Amino acid sequence: MQFTHKVSKGSAYNQIYIPRRMETHFEVGDIVEIKLIRKNDNLYYHNIKESNLSEFKRKLIANIIQELNKFKEIEQIIFTGSFLTSKIDYNDIDIILITDKKESNIEEKAFNHLTDIFNLKFHIISINKSNLSHLLKICPLTRSMFHFSISNKKIILNKEREINKPHLNFLLMMPEDSISLNLSSKTLYNSLRRLIAIANFLSNKDENPQEIDLEIKFLIKEVLFSQIKSNEAIDKSQESKIKSIIKEKLNKIKNQLK
Amino acid sequence: MNKRKIISALTNILAIALRHRIGSIVNNNEIYASKYARDADVLIKEVQNLSLKQNWNKEDKQEIEKQTKSKLRVELEKKDFIDNKKYALIDEETHKVLSSLNLLS
Repeated sequence: MQFTHKVSKGSAYNQIYIPRRMETHFEVGDIVEIKLIRKNDNLYYHNIKESNLSEFKRKLIANIIQELNKFKEIEQIIFTGSFLTSKIDYNDIDIILITDKKESNIEEKAFNHLTDIFNLKFHIISINKSNLSHLLKICPLTRSMFHFSISNKKIILNKEREINKPHLNFLLMMPEDSISLNLSSKTLYNSLRRLIAIANFLSNKDENPQEIDLEIKFLIKEVLFSQIKSNEAIDKSQESKIKSIIKEKLNKIKNQLK
Repeated sequence: MNKRKIISALTNILAIALRHRIGSIVNNNEIYASKYARDADVLIKEVQNLSLKQNWNKEDKQEIEKQTKSKLRVELEKKDFIDNKKYALIDEETHKVLSSLNLLS
């Protein structure tokens, strides 16, 4: 007979409760053996199920946090991006470092340290605490980026949204430019994602990147979606189709911003 | 495409790329300054592909710099949501990007 349980905090001693269904098997006076299966890594999951992350990734994240904790100026470490949501289809490991004040070279120091130790590709951004909370209010892309995240401290995503026209107009520049220029198919994909995130933000909807992908699939169908997501060449008629969707979405958003 | 047309196409994209880069620098929100500098990088890569189609002499490079700066000014004027500090960065950022592309005369 065996069961798996978490050690919980007790007032005098930490403890392991015997589940009710096991009461008849584990009785007072019985001798048991306790074995450590996994150390608690103290990770906080935001919209990600712990069980959906492989043991390897969990350990890697815990080890990265352990290394980054050596930098006193880092207050919180947040992992985002496709490393968390895709099993194998990810480019780099995205990490946001929250600092109390802006440290000019913490990104570089952390990047060099992690690259030396893990020999993996990292993308590191640092931001100070107060700027982050402001940005989470005004930026659909930052909200989308934090939608799926893992951190060494609790992540609180502010529900409050504030429409900052200069910021949204800045974000709209790339989709707008992608209509007139001949750019890669991945750029068109990114423009569509950006526009849907902004549209969701303006309608107070979640900026969930997986739902955004589902909407793109619905708009352009599965095959074309896979092509542009993996930056494959597409023909002129497919390109025009995507550009006309971008144009339509862009106009709708611009009208809302007037 | 002849040289003149390539210069025109190249400087069109370069001016847009620099508008993105300058926009991300003058904006106060540092997280996207680093993240969305990637937008400029995507466009600069396109410029790089175009620039490799020709061998550029000193006069060509001077022409590229002149056209880029003038088109960039127009691009920045169109975007009133980018802070006015943008104009002070035209020379410096154009210089940096042309140097990285080996297009500085």
